Amino acid sequence: MKLRFLLVVVAAFAISTEAYAHHSFSAEFDGTKPVRLVGKLTRVEWTNPHSYFYIDVVDKNGNVTNWGCEGAGPGALSRRGWKKGDLKIGDTIVVDGYRAKDGSHLADARRVTLPDGRSIYGGTPGDGGPGDDGTVQGVLPNTGTKK
Amino acid sequence: MPVLQHMCQVIYDSPIGTAIRESDYAFPVIESVHVLAITLLVGTIAVLDLRLLGLVFRGIPVTRVARTVFPLTWSGFAVMLASGLLLFWAEAAKNYSNPAFRIKLVLLVLVGLNPLIFHTTIYRRVHEWELLECSPWRARAAALASLSLWGGIIVAGRAIAYF
Amino acid sequence: MLRIWFLSLAQSTLGQYMQTSKWGFAVVEAIHLLALAILGGAVLIQDLRLMGLVFKEEPMRRINRDMGRTLLGSLVIMVLSGIALVSEEALKCYYNPAFRWKMVLLVAVIVFYFTLHRSAINRSTEESRAGDRIIGAISIFLWLGVGVAGRAIGLI
Repeated sequence: MKLRFLLVVVAAFAISTEAYAHHSFSAEFDGTKPVRLVGKLTRVEWTNPHSYFYIDVVDKNGNVTNWGCEGAGPGALSRRGWKKGDLKIGDTIVVDGYRAKDGSHLADARRVTLPDGRSIYGGTPGDGGPGDDGTVQGVLPNTGTKK
Repeated sequence: MPVLQHMCQVIYDSPIGTAIRESDYAFPVIESVHVLAITLLVGTIAVLDLRLLGLVFRGIPVTRVARTVFPLTWSGFAVMLASGLLLFWAEAAKNYSNPAFRIKLVLLVLVGLNPLIFHTTIYRRVHEWELLECSPWRARAAALASLSLWGGIIVAGRAIAYF
Repeated sequence: MLRIWFLSLAQSTLGQYMQTSKWGFAVVEAIHLLALAILGGAVLIQDLRLMGLVFKEEPMRRINRDMGRTLLGSLVIMVLSGIALVSEEALKCYYNPAFRWKMVLLVAVIVFYFTLHRSAINRSTEESRAGDRIIGAISIFLWLGVGVAGRAIGLI
């Protein structure tokens, strides 16, 4: 009976360590693949533990792709001056970040430029992402932006 | 949509669930309490488990260690249950399809069955072995199961964020 | 000057591994969390005894002998796993106020543990004195502070 308990636990460990796909920046995003996304907001999830912004990005040929951008939780964002009401569906925002490792249309919203021109660090603190000189509002490669 | 999933969606969409999920402070605070209270729940019961395994307090009767630890563990359980329910309230729909969350629930059931079995069997005769430095094998097995299951629960809980 | 240490940690083999590994951070963090559970349990039992709230019939020294070992053992695991976690995002930690608070409180509680706390345990008698209760309370408070600050690293 106890042996079965242990077997279940071992199985649980095996399953839980196998499919780690997220968290901590390097598990989910690729630090060598910076991306700049410009698009219209289609959806906002102002949630804990992470916020998500979905934007329609139009490429040269007019094809529209919907990208998801993962940001910090509401508490962290509002402390940086970004409130839920600052964004409306249809607003155009610029997202500088890094692509998801699995190739999906997901990026981490390291730096978001809002319609009113403000540039906010959207990243999740303590996730270990690159392109930061250590300060919260760090430098991103290929963007030339620094606060 | 299956009934259970629908119920989770209703809980998720509720005003309180939404408020917690979109909060600036409530969610982080509730979650931090949940993580730190692990010490009160698991940390204390681990001391009893270690006693049963003969690794600590060998000179102290098992019943005395148990008596000391149980109020603390139950307090920890109350805090973990309350904070856990609030977190679930905020995340219910997402939790439903989360494999780590499901495993955590299964392990929680098992970790609850373990002491039930322990207390109705070998622990009934504890006065025969409470002074032994190393407890009977059934007690040691229960202790190992406890430590393993709680360890699995902690890891599964952390893994929820990964799915 | 301290910044150099963090830079070196980031550039070390450990740092490079942690920064590129897909699941290294997750596994190390799980170890950090498991050790936290054990550390917390040892701290609670030991300090509650010092405050005269549990194990009143047992001599403080006897409680301290096993809980002290458990505490230090789990603390070592936490520090080692903690260094690995920091190496994944060293500079970010360096500039993070929550991390700085955590380090200050950690140093404070460790110094406290080997000085005032140790003497309180060594001269403890059957009845707990007011001084012991204060020292036990300070200890729990400091350890709790380390934990809260640690959690805050990912939130601010």
